[in-house]
Amino acid sequence: MLELRHVSKRFSGIPAVDDVSFSARPGEVTGYLGPNGSGKSTTMKMITGLIERSAGHIVFQGKPIEENLIAYKRRMGYVPEEPYLYTHLSGLEYLTMVAQLRDLPARQSGTRIDGMLRLFSLHDDRHASISGYSKGMRQKVLLIAALMHNPQLILLDEPFSGLDVGSSLVLRSLIRELAARGKVVLFSSHELDTVERICSRVVILHHGKLVADDSIERLRSLMELPTLEQIFSQLAVEQDTESTARQIADLIDA
Amino acid sequence: MHKLINKLAARLPLDFRILYHQFLLRVVDLESLSIQADIVGYLGQFSGVLIMLSLLHAMVTYIGYLTFSAPADRLAFCWHMEHYLISTTMLVVGLITVISWDAAFPDRRDVMVLSPLPIAPRTILFAKITAAAAVLGLAIVTLNAASGIVLPLLLGTQPGPALDFIQSFAAYWFTILAASAFLYGSILTIQGFTALVLPRRIFLRLSAILQLAAFGLFLGVYFAQPLLTDPVSLADPRNRWILASSPSYWFFALFNQLNGSWPAQFSWLASRAWIALGLTVTGAASSLLLCYIHTMKKTVEEPDLVPGAGGLHCMPPFGNSLQTAVALFSIRSLTRSRQHRVAFAFYLAFVFALALSLLRGELATPAPAPVSMDLLISAFLMMFFAVAGLRNVFALPISLTANWVLRTTQLRPSEDYIAATRRTLLLLAVAPIWLLSFALSFRFKPIPQVAIHLAVLALLGGILAELCLIGFYKVPFTCSYLPGKANIQLVFWGFVIVMIAFVVPAAQFELTALAVPLKAAFMLSALGALFWALWIFNRHRAKSAVLYFEEIPDPLITTLGLSV
Repeated sequence: MLELRHVSKRFSGIPAVDDVSFSARPGEVTGYLGPNGSGKSTTMKMITGLIERSAGHIVFQGKPIEENLIAYKRRMGYVPEEPYLYTHLSGLEYLTMVAQLRDLPARQSGTRIDGMLRLFSLHDDRHASISGYSKGMRQKVLLIAALMHNPQLILLDEPFSGLDVGSSLVLRSLIRELAARGKVVLFSSHELDTVERICSRVVILHHGKLVADDSIERLRSLMELPTLEQIFSQLAVEQDTESTARQIADLIDA
Repeated sequence: MHKLINKLAARLPLDFRILYHQFLLRVVDLESLSIQADIVGYLGQFSGVLIMLSLLHAMVTYIGYLTFSAPADRLAFCWHMEHYLISTTMLVVGLITVISWDAAFPDRRDVMVLSPLPIAPRTILFAKITAAAAVLGLAIVTLNAASGIVLPLLLGTQPGPALDFIQSFAAYWFTILAASAFLYGSILTIQGFTALVLPRRIFLRLSAILQLAAFGLFLGVYFAQPLLTDPVSLADPRNRWILASSPSYWFFALFNQLNGSWPAQFSWLASRAWIALGLTVTGAASSLLLCYIHTMKKTVEEPDLVPGAGGLHCMPPFGNSLQTAVALFSIRSLTRSRQHRVAFAFYLAFVFALALSLLRGELATPAPAPVSMDLLISAFLMMFFAVAGLRNVFALPISLTANWVLRTTQLRPSEDYIAATRRTLLLLAVAPIWLLSFALSFRFKPIPQVAIHLAVLALLGGILAELCLIGFYKVPFTCSYLPGKANIQLVFWGFVIVMIAFVVPAAQFELTALAVPLKAAFMLSALGALFWALWIFNRHRAKSAVLYFEEIPDPLITTLGLSV
């Protein structure tokens, strides 16, 4: 299980994540939601160890992650929000490099990479430079890199970004399948429809603070709202969306 | 003056001014070094180095001139300096042209960003040309600021018709500008027509090869071409093909023709300069125009995804998986990133040009030559340039935003990463130079001395690599680069002094040691001990090192530590 206990992050004194506590359990897909700038990606980066926390603890399988950061990184797979890759490498070269950095046996990693490239329909373009890849293709490379070592903890920050319909459907099923096999999956997205379909629980963040942490069913009944979109709008959207859209159109017309 | 320039600039169209500023930033690829790169600061540092060189040239010209008393000797010396200054200017212009390769042509980014905007292609063209011309102009003027006055002044004092200062001054600056325009125009013509004729994908690959070839050619010609500025050498029929094929001699002839001091029988050389200038200016103008009409369309139509061959995937392992990953990443970064390739090629081209010029005599003789100072100096310089050059190129990041993958997969202690960096440095810098020296050594004798020299060179390579790794706790090409960290003037002059102070005495010592076995054994032992000590020192420090991906700037306020 992944637990966050009173985790905070301040940038120059300004809180980006403020006293956030929640847990993600094995066998479940935990949705991590929030508007832009609410602190989702910052939380993800703290969980990966990319940035340090200002306060609080992150515990994985009962142990603080900093107790043995290397062992923790071996069991973690991460798909970042933006598909930043070394674009001068080809897809295959990049994935092979990640496997080498993870010290995976060459034969095993070769078989896995080859198989996943085929299943993600990237095999024909594996030798092409990543600089020519579309956003969806880059996203697939990130997914393969995050999963090739069979991690116990899977952190997905906007994993559907740029994927076509077919690949999105595959990924939805894959996320559910991985959770069913006992992995801890923490999944951040703005696609509420997708979150509603695959997540058992959701954690909603607003201005860096936790505003909801429960199963979707319970949130529906508690708030007496039929969809996750309406729940999210009530908890985390401050704007009158219709009015804002009208104002933008007026501004263009003026 | 500044106000006047600003007033004049304000009259130019706004879109031109904005584009000019953007293209100026990109002329020498500076923005890829750092987002905060200060173009004015960098150009100022380069100008400082060039002005210092110009002052040095002026001083040498003046002192050299005074050492001769006979007018004929003085004129011969002035001719020698004329050719030197023209060829040096051509070299500097050539190097800037190589560094700013493709800067005059619209790339895919320009086309995709600027095409949807209401900007005429001619505005983009003029902004690009103006930006390139600004950098070239600055280099030409600063490099000749002092020498471009002193030499015409000295020529103006020569007896004879039409040799006054104003004519010499005008002839000098016209020749310098014409030689620069010829060189820049030649490159633009070749680039433009290959871009027009070839499919864009093939053009881009060929362009990278042409860039490196031009780099090697400019340096090779500069260092290797013989000096033929006296009337006897000029008249020698054996030298005719060299003169006929060397543009620096064409413009040397042009200068003297304009100056009125050129013998009529050599006027064919000056004619070559006029013809070459006309051809390249016409070629550059037409190829640029055609490119902006045709190539911009070609660029848009270029497919995003280019199938690759995957040739480098079959490379052998270079140690454990981490060492292989770091070595392959470095090789791919060096071969595929234009900026890194050019930066490393700069060092290598300099190395080979220097070695070539030093070993010209030995390589020309058919029989094995005795081990000489030239061999030892060239070997030291090659090793020094290659190791220091690669270490400097390692410090240039390739894609900072992608470094997260190295940080999330750092599953081994930092010392393993530092060991991988060491192996890469040895593999890509020390080993090639040693192998090259090994190949060259077959032309030298006696064999025992050559063998000892190769052992010395291997140890020197190891020592240099260990020195470069002190405090370098990074994976190559992954750490941010602080703007202004490289003080070009300090590095340049520091290097010149170190080279003179270290390389020549070291080569002298080695040459004497090679002849005395006991001395040679002592030299090898001392170098071996130094290498071992540095290796132990670096290994010890690496155990507690933390790998870093961001350069930390020095604090703005430095405390003196005076308070209790």
